[in-house]
Amino acid sequence: MSEKYVAISWNRQKKIYDALLWSGVAVYLLLFIGLGSFLQPNATIETLIIRGFGTCAILLLHIVLIIGPLCRISPKFLPLLYNRRHLGVTTFLIGAVHAVFSIIQFHALGTINPIVSILVSNTKFNSIADFPFQILGLIALIILFLMAVTSHDFWLNNLTAPIWKTLHTLVYVAYALLIGHVALGVLQSETSPILAILLGIGLVLVVGLHLISAFKETDLDKEIVSVDEFVEACTVAEIPEKRACIRTISGERVAIFKYDGKISAVSNVCQHQNGPLGEGKIGDDGCITCPWHGFQYLPETGASPPPFTEKVPTFNVKIEDGKVFVKAKPNKAGTRVEPAKI
Amino acid sequence: MNEDFYIGYLPKMPKSLSKIIKTFVILAFIAAIGLAVILWIAQKPFAKSVFEFGTVKEFSGTIQAKTIPFLLIEKAEKNNGLPTFERIPLVAEGKHGFDGKSFDGQQIKLKGTLIYRDDLQMIEVVTDSVEKSPNTNQISEKSESLGKFTLKGEIVDSKCYLGVMNPGQSKVHRDCAVACLRGGIAPLFAVKDFQGNVSELWLLSEKGEAINNEILDFVAEPIEITGEVKRVDNQLFIYANPTSIKRE
Repeated sequence: MSEKYVAISWNRQKKIYDALLWSGVAVYLLLFIGLGSFLQPNATIETLIIRGFGTCAILLLHIVLIIGPLCRISPKFLPLLYNRRHLGVTTFLIGAVHAVFSIIQFHALGTINPIVSILVSNTKFNSIADFPFQILGLIALIILFLMAVTSHDFWLNNLTAPIWKTLHTLVYVAYALLIGHVALGVLQSETSPILAILLGIGLVLVVGLHLISAFKETDLDKEIVSVDEFVEACTVAEIPEKRACIRTISGERVAIFKYDGKISAVSNVCQHQNGPLGEGKIGDDGCITCPWHGFQYLPETGASPPPFTEKVPTFNVKIEDGKVFVKAKPNKAGTRVEPAKI
Repeated sequence: MNEDFYIGYLPKMPKSLSKIIKTFVILAFIAAIGLAVILWIAQKPFAKSVFEFGTVKEFSGTIQAKTIPFLLIEKAEKNNGLPTFERIPLVAEGKHGFDGKSFDGQQIKLKGTLIYRDDLQMIEVVTDSVEKSPNTNQISEKSESLGKFTLKGEIVDSKCYLGVMNPGQSKVHRDCAVACLRGGIAPLFAVKDFQGNVSELWLLSEKGEAINNEILDFVAEPIEITGEVKRVDNQLFIYANPTSIKRE
C-alpha cells in the first residue's frame, strides 16, 4: 500500500523477483540464440532473435497464467503473485521485440505500410492451413500492450477495480490468440510433432490448473440465498482465530473473521485487485491484510486505516447458539458495524 | 503474522513458503533450459543460403533487362568460339525489383551485395551505383526448350529464398514473399523431385511476361504448375499460364 503514486515501490522481494525473472530471460535467450548459432550456422541473426524472443514470450505467458490457479490451489504460491505484474510487463516487452523484428523482417521496406501489409497480405480467413496467423499475433500484442501500460495502481484506481479487472481478464483472449498464432503459423511450416506436443502440454497445464482451482472453489460457491434477512453462515468454531471463513450469500462472497473474541464480516473482494480478503489474516495491528498485495482494512468498518482511503462493504452479524448469522444485504462500503461478541 | 502468512513487503519470506517458491523457480529455469534445447532439436534444418550483408563488391558485365533483369558476366571458356556467360539475376534494395530497362544491353559496372543458395546467385544492387560504359554488347540469347512439364513445388520470392532470409519460404515467410512479389521481385518456382533434389525455375507467363500479381494467392503453398521449361545459360525458366496453377 502506498498513499501516493510512485513508479515502483521497490522492496526486497520485488528486487529478488525481478533479478530472478531477468536472469531467467537472459539465460533462455542466450542459450536459445547461442545454441541456434552453433547448431544452425545458416540461420540469420534476425531469425534467431524472432524465434528466441517469440518462444520466450510464450513461455513467460504460460508462467503468468499458471500462477493465478496455483495460488487458488495453495496459498503457499502467493509470493509468486505479489509481483506478477512485472512478469506480465516483461512478457509484453519480450513479445514486442519478437513483433518488431518480425514486422521489420517480413513487412518493412516494401511498397505499402508495414502494418497495412500485415492486414492485407493474407486474407484467407476461411482456411486453417493458410490462415493469416500474423494478425492473431498483432491483436494479442495490442491486448498485452494495454495490460502492460495499465498495470500500475494509478490506472487501477482511475479505471476502477471492476473495469481494470475486466481489461486484464483479456489476457485469456490474448493467450487463445497466441495459441492460434503458433498453431496456424510456425506449426504449419515445421514438420516435427514435438512443437505441437510442447504447445499441447502448455495448454493442458494452463487449462488443467484453472479447472482444478475452479473445482476446489465449488464449495465456496454454494450460495445461501436471502433478500434482506440474517442467514446462517457458519459456526464460530469453524473460523480459525484471526482468520476467516468465506461464504457466498445472495451472490456475494463474504469473509467472516474471528478475532479477539469478536466476529465481523466484510466483502471478500479487496478493492485493490479484487483479491480474496477471506484468505487473508488479521495482524497484530488489528487490520485484515489481503494475501495478494497486503492491502489492509479494519474489520469493524471495512475501511483502510488512515491515510489510506480504500473501503469495502461490511455486513451485520450476530451469534446464536455458537452459530454465526450474517445479514444478506451488505452495508455501504466503509460503514461501521458493531462486531458480534462470542 | 504467523509463519505461513507472508506479504512481499515484509522483511523475509518464511521458510515454509521459500521452500516451495525456490522449487517453482528451479523448475521454471529447468523448463526454460529444456525448452531452448528441445526447440532446436525439433526445428527443420536451415538451407545453405547466404546474404553477404555489409560486404559490397564491384561487378561488371552486360545488363539484360527483360522481364527478369540479369547481369551477364562473360566466362573464360568459349562455346564453338562464341562467348559464354554466367547469368546473375539483379534485385534492388528492400522488397523491390531492379529496374534495368535504361541499361539494357549496356556494359556496366555496379556495386552490390551477393546473395547465394547452392549454385544460384543474385546481386542486390546498391541504389544509384550502376555506371554505364560507352560500350554496348549484342548478346544472342541461346534458349533451349526442355519440354512441357507439370511440376510440383512452391512459389517463392527469389530474393529471400536465395539468402536474404532463412528460411525464405513456407507459411511463416508467406507475407514477406507476397510483399516482395508485389514490389516487383521475380518469383522462383522451387521444385523437389522424389529423391529430394531441389531445382529452381524462374516463373513467367507463356509470353515471358511478369505474372507477380496473378500468383500472389498461391505463394508459399504446395502447388503444381504446367508449363514449358527452358534453359538459358545457367538458369531454368518455366513459362506457364497462371490458370494452370493448381493447389495440391
